[in-house]
Amino acid sequence: MQEFLEIAKTDFLATFEGAWMLPLLLLSCALILWKEPDRTRKVLLGALPLAAMIVYWLPPTGMLLMKLLGENVYWRVLWLILIAVTVPYALCLLLRKCSGLRRQAAFLACLALVVLCGTPLLTSEEFLDSANEYKIPQYVIDVCELLPENIHAMVSNRLMPYIRQYDTSITLEFARNDYRYLNPGEADDDEVGQMYLEVQKSEIDLSVLAPTAKAEGCTFLVFSSTRTYIGEWEDYGYEKYASTEDFDIFVDMDYEEGQDTRKWED
Amino acid sequence: MRFEILLTALLFFGGTCLTGYAVRRLLKLKKEGIVCSIVVGALCWWALMELILVPMTMKLASFSSFVVVYSAAAMLFALAGLFCWRDILDDLKTFAENWKQYLTLGHLAALLLIVFELWFLHHHMYLEWDDTYYVNLANVAISSDRIYWVYPETGTLVDFDKRYVLSLWPIFYAWLSKLTGVAATVMAHTIMPWLMIPLAYMVYILIGKRLFEDNVQLQGMFLAFAVLVHLYMSGEHTTGLSFLTITPWVGKGILAAIILPALFYWLLRAMRDGGARNWIMLGVTGLGGCLTSSMGIMLTPLFVGIAVFLLTLQKRQIRYLAYGILSCLPCILLGLYYIRLTH
Repeated sequence: MQEFLEIAKTDFLATFEGAWMLPLLLLSCALILWKEPDRTRKVLLGALPLAAMIVYWLPPTGMLLMKLLGENVYWRVLWLILIAVTVPYALCLLLRKCSGLRRQAAFLACLALVVLCGTPLLTSEEFLDSANEYKIPQYVIDVCELLPENIHAMVSNRLMPYIRQYDTSITLEFARNDYRYLNPGEADDDEVGQMYLEVQKSEIDLSVLAPTAKAEGCTFLVFSSTRTYIGEWEDYGYEKYASTEDFDIFVDMDYEEGQDTRKWED
Repeated sequence: MRFEILLTALLFFGGTCLTGYAVRRLLKLKKEGIVCSIVVGALCWWALMELILVPMTMKLASFSSFVVVYSAAAMLFALAGLFCWRDILDDLKTFAENWKQYLTLGHLAALLLIVFELWFLHHHMYLEWDDTYYVNLANVAISSDRIYWVYPETGTLVDFDKRYVLSLWPIFYAWLSKLTGVAATVMAHTIMPWLMIPLAYMVYILIGKRLFEDNVQLQGMFLAFAVLVHLYMSGEHTTGLSFLTITPWVGKGILAAIILPALFYWLLRAMRDGGARNWIMLGVTGLGGCLTSSMGIMLTPLFVGIAVFLLTLQKRQIRYLAYGILSCLPCILLGLYYIRLTH
């Protein structure tokens, strides 16, 4: 029970924190329940959001839903509150009482109220200038343009989430959701795990990396150009293939141009 | 890219509009306008896709065979819509006669906000962490001709991830990609916003029309407020509404910003008009919701359940509860199957 309340509280705050949308929503519900003459609308626009909130907070319903949906995504129950219907309707209920220029002025004031109560989404720092029509970082495309098709590669974490969005003919040794990636501190006993941990370092020991990479069929290795290496690539059967502004690409010296080295796809 | 956006928009809005007319004729939803046809058509396309895609995925059918079957089914509906040319002409005529009444401050403000949102999104990118799974799921379907056999992040051949097998939304834009020849990543990131954002606000246009039937000015103001709430909602990474703006290609965003408001719209209509057609559309919308996200399988019956429970109490008529349960039956069945798969 305590755990449920903790998760519900955290998720609720994450949704409404830092803005005044919750008070605006509650006031809207109250206004609809008070002023709306149509009883069905009263239920659908005023009572329904409150009922959804009760279902969210009530331990018996909440705990059942949390079990069904999963703890990590319990916050999605809050999507049942149709804020973009309830708040606009309540504001329009207010505007219905005015007419002419007074209504127009009140409309502009209500727009300002919504702006003041919310947080602007489009100014989020997470929006970046679009660099290409794929809308993935340009450094990913720069690397993909240099890599041949149908190869197996191990790439830098910065490239990992995007590289197959540009070219699915490249298979990757590690996924974004690889448990080692999600839990970087976790020690791993097998050689592949050791290799993964090694390539996270700023100075990579090639005696740890290269033999396992070769054994695992990683024909191409792509690392940030800021990385330094202990040992010579040629001593371990790899050589420099190409470079971009941000990354260095190394290739297995046994690789022949046009060879299909994909590890898993047919 | 402008040509590709235009082509896909033409395919999507043209196809859904015609489908909408066919379904409206079937359900006797008369004089509802072009916007209603597009929304009805899109919801039917998604419900139809869920019906076709789930068994084909389970039967390990190839992606190209899915494209053929689904395209044929969608085209059949769209062709049926052509036979409703009188309804189309009627709606066009009504719009031509009345378009001036939509020149209100509210409509203008809403239009400006929507255009700004689309312009902004077209010139910016949002690097969604989950795209490496979902967008690649679409990419892999096209490149490997397999639906969901390949782990999208690495290219490994794997068994289904049971959490998502009933809700393969990325296959929808993989299908659009296949038809238009545009890469699935480009389809998702660059073209889908031009389809999903207008569609979402069309649902709000319909809700506004229902709520303020006799007042076009308030309809416009309602729409403007709805758009603004989307743009200024708190909780960037948890609020369903914000997903429409930041990642309009992601299924859960479609669920929160299109499916749930559409369910509300059909409930609103069902309470006013009665008749089976609105409940049927509620069921179709719910089934479409199952395609968008596995959350849709759970949240759709939950939303309808809470609403019809309250309405049953208010109206003191048990039939609303029965209609609600019946309309959610496809979701409930999928939900039980989902629980069996995942627990």
